[in-house]
Amino acid sequence: MSEIDLNALFIIFCVALGTYSLRYMGLVFSNSLSNEGKVKIFLDYLPATLLLSLIAPAILKEGVLGFVATVFIAFCMYKTKSILASMVLGVVIVAIGRNFI
Amino acid sequence: MKNDFRNGFIANIPIGFSVAAYGSVCGMMSSQAGVEFYEMLLMNIFIFAGSSQMLMVEMWSDSLDVLGIILAAIMINLRYFLIGASLSSLFKKSTSKQKMAYMHLCADENWAVTIARAKKEAITPLFLFGGGVCLLLIWSASTSMGYVLGEFITDPSKYALDFAFVAIFTALTFNMYHDKNNLLPWLIAAFVAIISEHFIAGKFYIVLGALAGSFSAIYLHKDTLNE
Repeated sequence: MSEIDLNALFIIFCVALGTYSLRYMGLVFSNSLSNEGKVKIFLDYLPATLLLSLIAPAILKEGVLGFVATVFIAFCMYKTKSILASMVLGVVIVAIGRNFI
Repeated sequence: MKNDFRNGFIANIPIGFSVAAYGSVCGMMSSQAGVEFYEMLLMNIFIFAGSSQMLMVEMWSDSLDVLGIILAAIMINLRYFLIGASLSSLFKKSTSKQKMAYMHLCADENWAVTIARAKKEAITPLFLFGGGVCLLLIWSASTSMGYVLGEFITDPSKYALDFAFVAIFTALTFNMYHDKNNLLPWLIAAFVAIISEHFIAGKFYIVLGALAGSFSAIYLHKDTLNE
C-alpha cells in the first residue's frame, strides 16, 4: 500500500461533487419548467437519445461486428424483453468475432 | 407505498447481473491501472456512475492529469442533469430533503428501470432509491471481485468484456422504442453523436447528440401537440 495520494482524493472529491450537483440540479431546475407541450416532448425523447449518443460511436468503432451484435441485441430485446439475455448475446457475438473471425 | 423501496430493489436485480459484469470489468481495469482499492471504493460510494468511473480509470496513471480527468468525468456525467430533469414528475410531491437524499443513488440503470415502471403504474421516488441501493451493493461487490481477479486476467478485450456496457445501453435503448415516430429523432441523435465524436475532443458528443435528437423531436412532432 502506497501513501495516500492527495491528487487522487481531490479528483474523486471534485467528480463526486460535480456529479451529485448535476443530478440534483437537473431535478430541481426542471421543476420550474412547465411540463407541457414542447418541454414534454423534449424530456420524453431525452433518455433514449442520450443512450444512443453514448453507444452509436462505440458501435461504429466495432465495425461490422458491432453492427451485427446490435441487430441481434435489438431482435433479442424484441423477443425476450430481457436486458440481461440481450447483453450476454451481444458480448458473446463480439467475443466470438474477435477470436475466431 | 412503503413497498416501493422493496419493489425497486427487486426490479433492479435482473439488470444487476449486467451491472455485475460491467463492475467486474471496471474493477479489473482499476487494479491494472494502479487505482488503490480504497480509492475505488470511494468512487463507488460517492460518484456512483459507472461510465465516468471507467473513464477515470482509463485516464489514471502515476502522474495524474488532475484537471483533465475531472473535466472528462464531469462531461460524461452531464447527462445526469438531463436524467434528473426527466424525473421531475416522479418527484412532484417530494420534499427537498427527499430529493437530496434519493437523487444521489440515481444511475443509468435504476433510472431506466424506474422510467419504464412509471409508465405502467404509479410509483414513488422510493422505487428509484431501492433500485439505487440494490445497484450500489452489486456494484461494490463486483468491482471488488474484479479488482482481486484483475491480476489474473491479462486481456479483458479478448472476451469482449469492454463491449458489455455498449450492449447494456443498446438493450436499454431498444427497450424504450415506442413507435415509428421515434426513428427519425433517434437517427439524428446517433448521427450527430458520431460526427461530433469524430471532430470534437472529449465527451461533448454525448450531450450534443442527445440535444440534437430531442430538439428535432420537438420540431418533427409539434403537430401532435394540437391533438
